Amino acid sequence: MNPEELLAKIAKCVERGKVNKTSPYPPDLKGEDGADELSAQALVEGIAADQVLGQGLVPGMQIVGVKFRENKVFVPEVLMAAKAMSAGMKHLKPYFQSGEVKRKGIFIIGTVMGDLHDIGKNLLGMIVEGAGWQVIDLGIDVPAAKFIAAIDENPGAYVGLSCLLTTTMLNMEKIVTEIKAIRPDTKVLIGGAPVTEDFRQKIGADWYSQDPQGAVDYLNKIA
Amino acid sequence: MKGKELVLHALRGGQCSTIPWVPFVGVHGGHLIGKNATDYLHSTELMVSGISKAIEVYEPDGIPVCFDLQIEAEALGCTLGWADENPPAVLSHPLSGNGNLEGLKPISPDQGRIPLVLDVTRKLRKQYPDIALYGLVTGPFTLGLHLLGTDIFMKMFEDPAWIQKLLKFTSEVTCAMSRYYIEAGCDIIAVVDPMTSQIGPDQFTEFIHQPVKAVFDDIRKQGKLSSFFVCGHAQQNIEVMCKTGPDNISIDENIPLDFVRNVCQNYQISFGGNLQLTLVMLMGTPEDCQKNAVDCIDIAGNTGFILAPGCDLPMKTPMANLQAVSKVVRDTYQQDVIRTLEHKPDKTKKLNLDEYGKRDRIIVDIITLDSESCAPCQDMVEAVKEVAPLFEGLVEWREHSIKNLEGVTFMSSLFVKNIPTICIDGKISFVSQIPPRSELIRAIQNRINEKLKIRLRVKQGEILLLGKSSEEIAPLREKTHQAIAELGVTIEIREETDPELIQSLGVTQTPAWVSVKYKIRSESGQPGNEVIKEWIKEII
Repeated sequence: MNPEELLAKIAKCVERGKVNKTSPYPPDLKGEDGADELSAQALVEGIAADQVLGQGLVPGMQIVGVKFRENKVFVPEVLMAAKAMSAGMKHLKPYFQSGEVKRKGIFIIGTVMGDLHDIGKNLLGMIVEGAGWQVIDLGIDVPAAKFIAAIDENPGAYVGLSCLLTTTMLNMEKIVTEIKAIRPDTKVLIGGAPVTEDFRQKIGADWYSQDPQGAVDYLNKIA
Repeated sequence: MKGKELVLHALRGGQCSTIPWVPFVGVHGGHLIGKNATDYLHSTELMVSGISKAIEVYEPDGIPVCFDLQIEAEALGCTLGWADENPPAVLSHPLSGNGNLEGLKPISPDQGRIPLVLDVTRKLRKQYPDIALYGLVTGPFTLGLHLLGTDIFMKMFEDPAWIQKLLKFTSEVTCAMSRYYIEAGCDIIAVVDPMTSQIGPDQFTEFIHQPVKAVFDDIRKQGKLSSFFVCGHAQQNIEVMCKTGPDNISIDENIPLDFVRNVCQNYQISFGGNLQLTLVMLMGTPEDCQKNAVDCIDIAGNTGFILAPGCDLPMKTPMANLQAVSKVVRDTYQQDVIRTLEHKPDKTKKLNLDEYGKRDRIIVDIITLDSESCAPCQDMVEAVKEVAPLFEGLVEWREHSIKNLEGVTFMSSLFVKNIPTICIDGKISFVSQIPPRSELIRAIQNRINEKLKIRLRVKQGEILLLGKSSEEIAPLREKTHQAIAELGVTIEIREETDPELIQSLGVTQTPAWVSVKYKIRSESGQPGNEVIKEWIKEII
């Protein structure tokens, strides 16, 4: 396999959610190498780590993000793709630490205070990470102070707020207001089942998207 | 037809002259009686009292006993995180990691809060025999996710047989819970399975179809009706949901209602929804809510449709918003008003009517939908028409139909909110109700008296005595002074002998007697063009 073929195969594994050789899914790739083995192989064969990321793993995840937006795949497929992605990423860890591979930027995410739901936030994190960003996940039930502390630790980071409950939308508003009051230059993205573009305008956040790929498109554009 | 009978008729796909209204009151019931969600969901007494309050203020045709999708999960060993303004959230998943599915025991009616909600059901049943009671049960997939956590999604691919086993178990739990609710007195079982919105139709068919179908078959076997509630972006699954055989499907604002209507009608299944929960019900005005309700009714039609919020009502949804929906759903006339008002005029186009009603005549405006097609409007117009002649030309009446832009602009300029309304000299006087003849006469008479009082307070004008010389004017001057003295009034007399001025007043022969009447039309304001035109008409 030449380098191009190998990178294309890594992308395909991520897109199809093929984690490693032993994983039974997808059935038609049973017994074949997955993103795990192929990423390791690529590095052994001398393909640069940033190529493995930028031309293998990221394009695979991007296809999944777009398909998710278009209702062609759903949460289970996205999670499988993310699992395959992270199986490949674990081989890149040393290169991130050494600085050989750089990410596009830092994206801080969290479910807003009062809200304990994490599926939407996790999906967002996986897809943004899969697009080549470093994601810092503050978890669920996150107060404004915690977001602001994370922004201070990571200057220039972008922030994504998630909520599922209608009642916690009001907390989302408070958090956006506080972040904007203290760190007015920070770009804040919002999302979650009850959130809408009208609501974003009302609370003064910078971007709303009803799907994670929309957030990726925005981040890639402004970064 | 109303209440339970109406809901059941619609659920069976029947045509309804009034659309059944089912507000999904969950912890909002606690808000109605000033209790937090945690206390509310732990007390039979509070829940009965919250739902009773909701029934009193929202006059629903049907209502859920309890909206909490964590009851079964809690009974099966999930720990819950409690909140003041929301139902609890599941915090731990007994099957995550290497949890043992075989170790899970079927539920029984004495576990967790199950006895509490069954008790609430029995009490409400006794208290409200004519209202449709919905028993809400957690759907098999959502319950599976509570038990296993989000690993359920990947395990669907990695160990499909295990997931099928899990969903067979959760389906049995859902069936058992449905039976408990039915035995306690529920008329309808709603299987609430929001997490199915996260998967595609192929996965739904492979994993969810059979477990959910088993529940609906079981409910039917017991002679009761069912509904399938799914909130979120579940448009891709509506068709496969229909194939599981519920009597009804209820969705939220994420799915267009016309899409659901079309799919459900193909499967001869009734449907419900989808009042907007946040921007409208929670954050909007009562008018926004009524408009949203009318939009839903217009899209859905009156066959096999139940008007309901998209999902569990946010706890602090303003009571007035829900009351507005409950009012409009039964008032087809008010629905017509809202449809007509959809073309609201731009606020900047408001007429300036500050000076309105300063003519000598009394103006009675009747703002109507259209007196030809709307009975209350016609009655109101007739009432005014009948009394106006009693005032011998003093009263001028006009109808403004809001079917025309002029009517709508006029309505908003006078701040009229209801149809029909009578305004007397620009002031809202009778709203919606047709005034008895005597009251209408009295109101007009009062306005006439008011105007007279105003007139007595001001300098009314002056008298011009015109002639070639002071001598020519003298006899008229004498008679005029005499008349003024006899009347006991004060009025200025001015004499003019300038021929040009006399001619400009249109007088060709002297001596002449001309009265000039002053009338203040506007003080410290900027009367609008329309108003000034009215004044000008009086002096030309």
